[in-house]
Amino acid sequence: MAEVVLKDIRKEFGTFVALERLNVAINAGEFVALLGPSGCGKSTTLRMLAGLDFPTAGEISIDGRVVNDVAPGKRDIAMVFQSYALYPHMTVAQNIAYPLKKRGVARPERDAAVAKTATLLQLEPLLNRKPRQLSGGQQQRVALGRALVREPKVFLLDEPLSNLDAKLRSYMRAELIELHRRIGKTMVYVTHDQLEAMTMADRIAVMHDGRLQQFDEPEIIYNQPANRFVAGFIGTPSMNQLEGAIAGSSFVINGEQVPINRALYEQALKDGPVVLGIRPENVSLSGGSLPATVRLVENAGHEQIVTVEIPGGHRLLAREASGQRPSVGQTCQIGFDADFIHLFQPGENGSRFETTGQAHVIPMQAQRSASDES
Amino acid sequence: MATAAHAGHRLERRYARLGVFLIAPTIVVFSLVIVYPLLAAIYLSFFSVYTPTLEGEFTGADNYIRLLTNAAFWNSLITTLIWTVGTLSLQIVFGVGMALLLHQNLWFRSLARSLVLFPYFVSTVVAVLVWRWLFNDLYGAINHGLMQLGIMDMPLDWLGTMPNAMIGVILVGAWKYFPFVVIAVLARLQTIPEHLYEAAKIDGAGPIARFFDVTLPQLRSVLVVIILLRAIWDFKEFDLIYLLTGGGPVTSTQTLSLLVYQEAFALNEMGQAAAYSIGMMLVMLVFMLVYIRRTAREA
Repeated sequence: MAEVVLKDIRKEFGTFVALERLNVAINAGEFVALLGPSGCGKSTTLRMLAGLDFPTAGEISIDGRVVNDVAPGKRDIAMVFQSYALYPHMTVAQNIAYPLKKRGVARPERDAAVAKTATLLQLEPLLNRKPRQLSGGQQQRVALGRALVREPKVFLLDEPLSNLDAKLRSYMRAELIELHRRIGKTMVYVTHDQLEAMTMADRIAVMHDGRLQQFDEPEIIYNQPANRFVAGFIGTPSMNQLEGAIAGSSFVINGEQVPINRALYEQALKDGPVVLGIRPENVSLSGGSLPATVRLVENAGHEQIVTVEIPGGHRLLAREASGQRPSVGQTCQIGFDADFIHLFQPGENGSRFETTGQAHVIPMQAQRSASDES
Repeated sequence: MATAAHAGHRLERRYARLGVFLIAPTIVVFSLVIVYPLLAAIYLSFFSVYTPTLEGEFTGADNYIRLLTNAAFWNSLITTLIWTVGTLSLQIVFGVGMALLLHQNLWFRSLARSLVLFPYFVSTVVAVLVWRWLFNDLYGAINHGLMQLGIMDMPLDWLGTMPNAMIGVILVGAWKYFPFVVIAVLARLQTIPEHLYEAAKIDGAGPIARFFDVTLPQLRSVLVVIILLRAIWDFKEFDLIYLLTGGGPVTSTQTLSLLVYQEAFALNEMGQAAAYSIGMMLVMLVFMLVYIRRTAREA
């Protein structure tokens, strides 16, 4: 087990700045997801950890040792590639044994290690096959096996599940969680899939435009997003964001007032422009004060996503339990659950106003049941 | 249902007929330029034919008996094999080496990639004339250069003595045809996924291990095809050797193609020449069968 520290990392490709002032400290044995849209710098970060790319400035250390000038093969890391990168001319057994062979491990020990890994990943019946004779999920497991076999300090996984179909992906997700629990090694996992990050990671580093946006536990990322980007990126459908202003103790949009929990925010707020964020599950279609018209109803079976339009042309999403189905064109008075209202600084990626006093943490379980009840 | 199946069947037959119609021109041309000359050569090989008049008499298997019993064919076959193996090995070694070099990020890469094709594109006659001048024993640039450098103190007769003549022919052949290997290998190199190299780096493989464990296995299939194709082409190479040494000194570089030519047009023995060429074809058939089996397996 080893901790991984990225200190003041900067990475330039020519004139393009891919990463700026990146500071991440990963604890030993932790499962960390690097999450962000494509081009956010998450893969570059992982490649620098692996030693396949080099930071323009800053310091990378693994287990207390600065590894900026250490070759990939000597960093004691293993990586699983999105494309698996299995050696096509070698059998499954040879693929798994390769990293040991290159480190001069003797044949009997190699065979024993391969057998052990194969048992762990249920690869025994496939050991003599070539990669092209395997399904995507099997190739994935071989790639994992090649990473596991020499028991490295740190595992790096670059979107390892994105080439699998939806069913297999959720299966492998569970397998990986189980695997991490069993071997307890530090894992850094790059993904653009928030569901993977939320379900698997101990902590998530949300990245955008080469900058770290937030690095925290999934629940905190979900319930206390650091800024508008994180709020919009995490959650499906994403958080509604309304640009308006604070006047007195209310949020005002197009002359309509939305009551907010003044007690929670009074320290942080002055009158002035602000962005209100509310997740679809905290929007109710009745009993509120904001007039709205139903524009679209998407039924997903267990729930429905309702698009409503409020005066001024803003559209909002509301997540409703299935059952009574609103009809398109119907008018209603929508309301927001005041406990779940977030306020952000105006501007493209405004920060969230931190609340003072009582922490605004709602356990996800409570939140889920709250949304189910609505 | 039944009618639909019937209609489908009819459609299938119509497609089959269309297929025959479409390949018919190829079959006709193929028959005219390949099958007919082949049959004519087999026919001629049973006669003793005087080339200028193409008149002759049936001699049965005499030409083949002479082929088997005289040393000429076997000596030429050995010469041909030495030439083929020698020049092909150099083509592969230099071709793969140059392809690896041109695959690197060099600043003059695109220029070099075009320049390397030059020997392949230049006409054999022109190339050979230049090489003959370079090899010339009296005023050749190679002798001059080597003597200036102090490597030799006497000029060397490059194309007039053995084994120099064979070495010279092999070198010129390698120079002329290695670009073919470069193009094919370079094209393959560019399709090797970068991730394989990265995975190998992480697995602890150094540059040499990466060449043998990633590059070479990936090049295998293309190398097999190149080696077989070039072996077939080098085996029947004529103009380059004919122009450079004419088969000499005496018959030291007389490959089978040159032997056939000499028999047909210098000794005017068209029947014997036809028998030699049939013998040559049978040897080539071995290469061809290997090639066909290989490509069938790759597919």
